[in-house]
Amino acid sequence: MKKATLILALLVTGATITAQKRTITSGIIKFDATTSQDALPRAENKTVIAAIDPKSGGIAFEAIIKSFSFANPMMQGHFNSINWLDSDKFPIATFKGKITNLAAVNFSKEGIYPAEVTGDLTLHGIVKPLTAKGTVVIAGKSIALTSAFTIKVEDYGISGKAIEAGKVNKEPKISVAVNFN
Amino acid sequence: METGKFKKKNILVAIVIVALAGVGLVWYLFTEKFGDTSKEAADFTVTATALISEFKKNDSAANKKFAEKIITVTGIVTSIEPADTALNLKMADSTGSYVIFAFQQQHIAEAKAIKQGDKISVKGSCSGGAYSEILETEFVTFKRCALNQ
Repeated sequence: MKKATLILALLVTGATITAQKRTITSGIIKFDATTSQDALPRAENKTVIAAIDPKSGGIAFEAIIKSFSFANPMMQGHFNSINWLDSDKFPIATFKGKITNLAAVNFSKEGIYPAEVTGDLTLHGIVKPLTAKGTVVIAGKSIALTSAFTIKVEDYGISGKAIEAGKVNKEPKISVAVNFN
Repeated sequence: METGKFKKKNILVAIVIVALAGVGLVWYLFTEKFGDTSKEAADFTVTATALISEFKKNDSAANKKFAEKIITVTGIVTSIEPADTALNLKMADSTGSYVIFAFQQQHIAEAKAIKQGDKISVKGSCSGGAYSEILETEFVTFKRCALNQ
């Protein structure tokens, strides 16, 4: 009897934890490093894995670098090449962090909440702290998270002639849109 | 004297041709766009479960073999996920490991006609796979996909 209660308790706890953490596999991250000289360095990745834990405010992302889809084959080649993101060696970018103003976001009440996220971005094999502002939209059961920020490519050991010549923005815009539906 | 002039003219013509070809090549490289995947030949034809198990076995070897290749994948659609105004189709195995397909703009409409449980064949550019620490499963992603009809 005791054993059964324990198993039941474990099952219930397990179910609650699963219910708290939400994941999706079709998150969107867009990358825009275009300049007045060059409109080609931009891409989007529509198969990003994302997780959110409304209780702790924990947020995580995983994006395969080769999933960034460019219109121009040459630019996609540059992006993945050994000089830039070296995606053969570093195939995945990750972010692990949390919402720092969690008290201001009510996950159980419909609404639009400004959020701030802080964590570690791992890109090109280099880990750097990142803080970004974003928005959390609660509608029914869905949690939508959007954010736009810039990163410095030199922070992640990315350089090259095209970047120095001003053809590629040294601080590309990154936009994130995930909908835990 | 006459032959000397002729030679000079020839060299000049050759230089102009080479320069034009160079400009043409640069122009081509900068304006080229990825073609319609449905018109491209597949490098590999596999089932979703076979592809997933190959990545599970050794994902660095599988990445070398499949990444940036055009692959035709056959399998049963286990879920359909909205992504912006488009959608992604997913084929998962019994353990939750999956392959996911993001469609080319001109093929989004045909993907929208697919239902969960449909057996389909998709052609796309494989972006490779990795182990997801978030999901604790292997996943393989595709871009620029088209439905094989």
